[in-house]
Amino acid sequence: MTAPLVRLEGATFCFSGADEPALDSVTVAFARGEVVLLAGAPGAGTTTLLLVAGGFAPRLVGGTLGGAVCSDARRPAIVFATPWTQLTGLCHTVLAEVAFAPAGAGLPREEVRDAAERSLERMGALHLAARDPATLSGGELQRVIVAAALAMDPDILLLDDPAAELDPAGADDLYALLPRLAAAGAAVLVATPDRERAARAASRALALEAGRVVADGPPAAVLSDTPVARIARAAGCPAPLPLDVDALVARVAR
Amino acid sequence: MIGYRAGTSPLHRAHPYTPLALASALLLAVFALGSPGAVGCAVLAAALLALTGNVLGYSARPALTLGLATWVLLLVLHGLLGPEPFAALGPVSVSEPGLRRALVLGGRLTAILLAFLTVLAVVSPARLVEAMTARGVPFARMYLLVSSLTLVPRMRARAALILEAQQCRGLRLGGSPLARVLALGPLVLPLVLGALAEVDEQVLALDARGAGLPGPRTALEPPADSALQRGLRWLGLALAAAAFAFRFAGHPL
Repeated sequence: MTAPLVRLEGATFCFSGADEPALDSVTVAFARGEVVLLAGAPGAGTTTLLLVAGGFAPRLVGGTLGGAVCSDARRPAIVFATPWTQLTGLCHTVLAEVAFAPAGAGLPREEVRDAAERSLERMGALHLAARDPATLSGGELQRVIVAAALAMDPDILLLDDPAAELDPAGADDLYALLPRLAAAGAAVLVATPDRERAARAASRALALEAGRVVADGPPAAVLSDTPVARIARAAGCPAPLPLDVDALVARVAR
Repeated sequence: MIGYRAGTSPLHRAHPYTPLALASALLLAVFALGSPGAVGCAVLAAALLALTGNVLGYSARPALTLGLATWVLLLVLHGLLGPEPFAALGPVSVSEPGLRRALVLGGRLTAILLAFLTVLAVVSPARLVEAMTARGVPFARMYLLVSSLTLVPRMRARAALILEAQQCRGLRLGGSPLARVLALGPLVLPLVLGALAEVDEQVLALDARGAGLPGPRTALEPPADSALQRGLRWLGLALAAAAFAFRFAGHPL
């Protein structure tokens, strides 16, 4: 494993006014080249872990952070499940929206435009470039928001249920892109209940419960409760259990 | 309807600073003007601005609606309760200086409303952002200005969505005045609370996308400017300054 990009040591985070910590004594490291699936029930702390790893909590969301967070990440990008809350409100074309971050870096105009168009193309959304973001569907908007994050050339990409608004084919495309982003040198963290798709893309999985990391390892070892895994277990499949339909079919075919 | 209205008029095509500067000059000038005639000319100038932008009907209706209550109040307070001498106006006797005062104050309000509703209607927020970006205006100031300009249409769109959702869940909008007032609750609360909740995520998203970075931003499509437009902007401001000069010299127009 390469040197960690972000390292949390005994990190405990508590939102303002909350009685219980959202993260509790978490020690974990993330490196470039990894796609890490953060799995947990609602309230387990997966989103909070994204916010802390990206340096957004407590800086922007308030609350108190204990323990240590060491980060060499310079360009963290985050995508939430609700793309309409992530529009700048200042851009009236999709291209301008996606170009927002490169334009903020003061790059030459052509470079800004190229970066935005490249990111839109990666997300299969270049045809939307001239549209007003306010007129897009949820799925189109989600692609645009992910493209806007990619246009930043992030060294750590934090995705919180990024396919919530996408159709199945769009979700497949997005998850297929993640290993390529990691191979290009980014650390990719994705929190999602869509474990079957995410497990295909992830090189590592963390399971969280009540703000604590309870398992950390290869997805097949950490995730054993996907519907497909339960079917495989009931059918007597030996470990590691297949986590998605494709893996189950491949196992049965063998 | 208040907000931007797409079009191809000279004001729509102009650099966004031009209608803004002309409206600002008008705003300054009306406070220097002291006679009903001069203020009437300012109202006409504002109407001419709206006409040039092809949005006269669009701007005049809300300007009159918004100013109506103030006009009535001014006419009653100054016209009926103002100082002597009084003059007969049909069956009513009105204070002459009071009526002049009411016309000046009401005219100022009308000119300002008309000019700025015209600016809202002809200046595309996107082009304004590009213009400000090209001039190196800091992001925070730009965000504050443009989000204020687009606040009304955004809140209206959000309110329409909430209203539809609440109607689907059985909210009735008709009935007695009391029932209508009570129906505002299910609209206003989600409108305000939803807006506050979304602000948190938007702050995160803007910060993550480098909104707070120091240094100049790149404008993707800066609007074209010209010497003529720059001259027009300076002329407008010079006329406003001249109006103030006359006023301070003791000869208000």
